[in-house]
Amino acid sequence: MTKLALVRSSPHVIDGSAQAADLALDADVCVIGTGAGGAVTAAILAEAGLSVLLVEEGGYHTSEDFTMRERDVTTKLYQEGATRATKDGGISILQGRTVGGTTVVNWTTSFRTPEDVVDHWKTKHAVAGFAYPDLVPHYEAMERRLAIAKVDYATLNANNKTLYDGCKAMGWQADTLRRNVHQCLQTGMCSLGCPVNAKRSMLVTMIPDAIDAGARLVFRARGDRLESEGGEIKRLRGALLDASGNAPTGKSFTVTAKRFVVSGGAINSPALLLRSGIDDEGRVGARTFIHPVIGSAGLYDTPIEPSRGAPQSAASHHFAHRGDEVGFFLEAVPWYPSLASTAVPGYGRAHHDMMMLSSHTALHIAIGIDGFHDDVVGGRVALRPSGAPVLDYPVPPKLWSMFRFAQKRLAEMQLASGAKKVATLHDDPVMMEPGKGGVDEARIDAARWELGSVPVFTAHLMGGCAMGDDPKSSVVRSTDLRHHTLKNLYVIDGSVLPTSLGVNPQESIYGLSRLMATRLAAASK
Amino acid sequence: MVAKPITTGDTGPRASGGASSRRTFLKRGLLGGALLFLGGAGLALFPSREVVPAGPAPLVLEPRSLQVLAAFAARAVTAPGADPGTIARRVDAVLACATPETKKDFNGLLGLFENALSGLLLDGRVQPFTRLDPAAQDAVLESWRTSSIAIRRTGFQALRKLCLAAFYADETSWGALGYHPPSGLNAMAYDDSKAGTPEWLEAQRAENAKKAGGT
Repeated sequence: MTKLALVRSSPHVIDGSAQAADLALDADVCVIGTGAGGAVTAAILAEAGLSVLLVEEGGYHTSEDFTMRERDVTTKLYQEGATRATKDGGISILQGRTVGGTTVVNWTTSFRTPEDVVDHWKTKHAVAGFAYPDLVPHYEAMERRLAIAKVDYATLNANNKTLYDGCKAMGWQADTLRRNVHQCLQTGMCSLGCPVNAKRSMLVTMIPDAIDAGARLVFRARGDRLESEGGEIKRLRGALLDASGNAPTGKSFTVTAKRFVVSGGAINSPALLLRSGIDDEGRVGARTFIHPVIGSAGLYDTPIEPSRGAPQSAASHHFAHRGDEVGFFLEAVPWYPSLASTAVPGYGRAHHDMMMLSSHTALHIAIGIDGFHDDVVGGRVALRPSGAPVLDYPVPPKLWSMFRFAQKRLAEMQLASGAKKVATLHDDPVMMEPGKGGVDEARIDAARWELGSVPVFTAHLMGGCAMGDDPKSSVVRSTDLRHHTLKNLYVIDGSVLPTSLGVNPQESIYGLSRLMATRLAAASK
Repeated sequence: MVAKPITTGDTGPRASGGASSRRTFLKRGLLGGALLFLGGAGLALFPSREVVPAGPAPLVLEPRSLQVLAAFAARAVTAPGADPGTIARRVDAVLACATPETKKDFNGLLGLFENALSGLLLDGRVQPFTRLDPAAQDAVLESWRTSSIAIRRTGFQALRKLCLAAFYADETSWGALGYHPPSGLNAMAYDDSKAGTPEWLEAQRAENAKKAGGT
């Protein structure tokens, strides 16, 4: 048993912001990033007896900091203070930046990678280094470690219950979800950091495991570039950041290691490679997928209180497979006032009037499954002049077509579950009522489907350093996630996925990382 | 692989000069060099109005950008208790987390919003945004919101979202929404990294059985 309170103050944990001099560190393996990929990898390698150093750009925030107040935590826990967006500003990106990464702020939804997706990677993307059965024991191990379990219908909050009931009323597939929680108090505050450590994020599980096994962790340390000589990485150089996390202190750090594992997640992992001069003829940063999200607000007579209870506990994959059309799945998302205010259309009086209805409003989303069609190739991560990454994600016609179709299905589902009004989230919303013709497909089709007129979000970042066995179409090998030519460079995180997943990504990253870290540990002996 | 690594020098917490930011913004996304010339002249002819007391220097925004943002917030956030100056300061603090380029872009965006001569071309107005009456300001907001130029719409949305998010993050706005999040639960946090694992549950059961046996 590891007392969590002791991990943060362990001599193995180094606060980069507090260093009076430059840091020079070394290890068998340097793992850059502490989210779903990095934390699992570090724990497995440290438990195998390797000397491991974890490097994290964000702060080390714990349950004591999770005040359940958006103002206190969003600037601490999210990339760019939750202002990260695509290059044209049209798509908002929610991604974690803290010890534990996005696992600290996600909504706990846990799916294994669908078997047909793993098969698709083999057939279409030359991923022959593993098959679905190879992943299964690693999923099982992570499910035990993170207390992943399916929730009962009886525990669904009204936001999720209306989704589940609406789908069933339409005759669609729907199910309750599996969550990585233990004795959850249903505070509903998952994306502001769990205040009671019920969420089994990396912060409270695999990172303590890694530290227990002897790994070291330096935080407020931004990896700037990897330096290579003779076909291998020699060192990582970076800047130590101040306590706000926003500015360098002027002190730097250097890590020398036998192996380097990049685990910054989609966007930050390809960015580190690009800053290091590794672009692999344009393959690094390409095919970045985002599961683009559109939403629908349903107003009900009964209270919904969408900020209370498990935020996500039901989903429908009824429309996941649509042949030549892009598939999508349906889930619910909570409303916290600050986050919700950005999704509610309009401004001034009209906006506030709609905010006032929030306790009776359910917010349901359609999540597009990108990367499975020849003309839905994802976005590209590039660098700004400062070296900061930016994702350019042009929305192709096929996705706009999916958004229109999904908007109609969301409206049908909400009306079927008893909504007395349904509104799209367009800046000029399409309002629909059951007694006035129900779902108005013509008006939905006629709405302004363009960025800046309808909000599009993402909280699932995948790809950019694709795995595969053809060096002309991938960045790392699928047997061990090692770079095709740099022999001691590995990428282990969501950025190696050759497509999106069609399910929330965290468990896919846990399972794949555990498999690959286990192979790396064996190869290191 | 390309040969040349890219340097990651920081440009510091402050964005660089507003004129260059506006130039970048205009050249890259919007209207090009001719309007840039007109925009610069327009700014010189029509100074901004001070919407809120100047106060201490902002973290990210130029002092004039802060005034434009406060004027925008006064029209965008009209809920009871909304204070444009407070909202503008909070947005400034959030932008401290953004990339150097995003910081520059926001100063450029607010400069363009204010600019009288770009306003003349785009909206037919001859005064800076901060000097317009509320109805005329609302017309400018509508013009940006419904523009056929994508970057005007996304720029408007960015300002709208930042202002609204800053206001509704404040608990004084919550009572009217019926939003009452719990507080003070942190002391109840589990302090065990293995909580919930089968081994941990088995140990708990054994411990409980031992206690029960002992009574």
